[in-house]
Amino acid sequence: MKLFLLTLGFGFVSASIYALLSVGLSLQFGVTNFVNFAYGAYLGVGMLLTYTFSATFGLPFWLSMVLATIGTGLVSMFISEYVLGPFVKRKKSLFYMLIVTFGLSLILDNILQIFYGVGFNEYPIGQSTPITIGPFSFTGNQLLIIAIAGVVMIGVHLLLSRSRLGKAMRAMSDNSDLARASGIDTNMVTRWTWFISGSLAGLGGIVLALNIVSFQTTSGDALLFVIFAAVILGGIGQTYGAMLGALIIGLVTEVSTVFISSAYKQDIAFLVLVIMLLVRPQGLIPAKGKA
Amino acid sequence: MSVILGYVATILVTFFTYNIFTLGLNIQFGYAGILNFTVITFMAMGAYFYAVFVMPPANASNQVFYILGLHWPWPLASIAGVVASGALGYLIGLIALKRLRSDYLAIVTLATGTLLYGLSGDNNKLFDGWAGLFAVNQPFQSVANNNPNTFSWIFVVISGLVMLAVWWFANQLYSSPLGRSMRAIREDQDVVDAFGKNTFKVRMLAMVIGSTIVGIGGVLTIQYIGALSPAGWTTGETFVVWAALLVGGRGNNIGAMLGSLLVAVVFNEGTRYIPQVASNPNLVPDLRNIIIGSLVILSIWFRPQGVLPEKKAKFFELPLKDKYAQTFGGSKADQDLVVEV
Repeated sequence: MKLFLLTLGFGFVSASIYALLSVGLSLQFGVTNFVNFAYGAYLGVGMLLTYTFSATFGLPFWLSMVLATIGTGLVSMFISEYVLGPFVKRKKSLFYMLIVTFGLSLILDNILQIFYGVGFNEYPIGQSTPITIGPFSFTGNQLLIIAIAGVVMIGVHLLLSRSRLGKAMRAMSDNSDLARASGIDTNMVTRWTWFISGSLAGLGGIVLALNIVSFQTTSGDALLFVIFAAVILGGIGQTYGAMLGALIIGLVTEVSTVFISSAYKQDIAFLVLVIMLLVRPQGLIPAKGKA
Repeated sequence: MSVILGYVATILVTFFTYNIFTLGLNIQFGYAGILNFTVITFMAMGAYFYAVFVMPPANASNQVFYILGLHWPWPLASIAGVVASGALGYLIGLIALKRLRSDYLAIVTLATGTLLYGLSGDNNKLFDGWAGLFAVNQPFQSVANNNPNTFSWIFVVISGLVMLAVWWFANQLYSSPLGRSMRAIREDQDVVDAFGKNTFKVRMLAMVIGSTIVGIGGVLTIQYIGALSPAGWTTGETFVVWAALLVGGRGNNIGAMLGSLLVAVVFNEGTRYIPQVASNPNLVPDLRNIIIGSLVILSIWFRPQGVLPEKKAKFFELPLKDKYAQTFGGSKADQDLVVEV
């Protein structure tokens, strides 16, 4: 029971990381209606930009995090504008969009590898001693991860429910032609969506690196199918569904380490994905016309 | 001289095996519109299962571990490898081919690939982990008296024959009713559904046939090289096959062949001997991958149909009688009316 509660605590940490990442992927899918297979590489951009800012330039760590998060958002917006956008404008079929993002993942990964190599890196910050809260035990970094995810989730909720941009995003997600017809600047909304999606990917990559301590360029890609599992579990294109999916996947993968070797914990996410696709492919909170 | 002969043989075998991979992907993507983002995993499954069926039981004292080790004769082991690869295709199809958008299938193939890559690397009891399997029995090695060049050239003939057989089969499939159903599904699945075809079954057949063919290529690869480790089937390899198909021309088997010649042989071999940069040993392979990825994207932008586009289907229509022609405003029905499919 003690071990169970302990892993449950780690489950919340993983769930926080997955929540940032799956919300970012899901927001973008909702608005643009195609899956971004290069998303794993965006994680790498975030975690490695932070490394450059903090380890190479010697900036304070929090500032490096902020700069890298914005930086990844800008990279994502740039790619959308100059690589994906033209394909969308030409009305390329879904097939081709997927292949393009898939090709993009190889390009981005290898650009990162040219600059950072294939070895493992670590952030120049100390590992704090574990803090015991009730039955749980967290490092300071893990508490930070949970706090960041909490703040960002509330932020995303406010964005979607209160702001003009968020409402426009939801409108585009429902029906982008109708949104355009009712005077929404869909190009601008798409641009902002890619920026937010990229920022969340970058931030998710950074907190992932904080959690696993040593990371390499492909750490993000290895996690991509876990994010897909969370997104599909919640209902593809559903932001709140993605949060729920991330929570479930995070808890299930970590608690599974009580029963199986922790080397296979992410394979459990694959199992959840398979079961979900067989039983309820539209996800827990289905979106109309997306499955 | 013998070095050059051996090199030419290796290039030919590479060309033939990549051609087989590309033909397999062409049946999945070019014929049926199935996005398989982990082509190379099927190659690895074919190769690994051939190896564990043909090799003697694992010898723990060598610190080499693998499952099975049945020591079957190589023809039976080859069949086992090919069947294993087809079975993986069937399983993926079961999960993702039912009434879902093509995104889901792409996600499941990619997830399966990542999972199996991690599993076969991290778990050294399956296929000897990251070290991989080596000293795998190679057929015809005894016929060649262990002379490497004789063996290579015997293998050029064998893999060439297998490739021709696969090529012939792929062409037969293309013009068969099943192949036509596949292409119709690629264009519009709902229409084919409405005509009463079992689209799930047709797509599943495309998935399994394609995976089986890639598995054949995998068995040939490990028979020729005699070893395979996870480093030999990274995601980058999947892109080589995709680039070959997209550059050559999806849906066209001669295009697939031309693409594997251009990408897998001319480009891959041509850049193999660029000297390493001492300060950044990964620079050249990384740039190669970037170019392969760009090739995929640029070919979709500039020439999505490939260098050799798929031939448009032509159907002869019976000439309409004049009284019908009258009803259509007097315009005569054209005998060579071509309908695009």
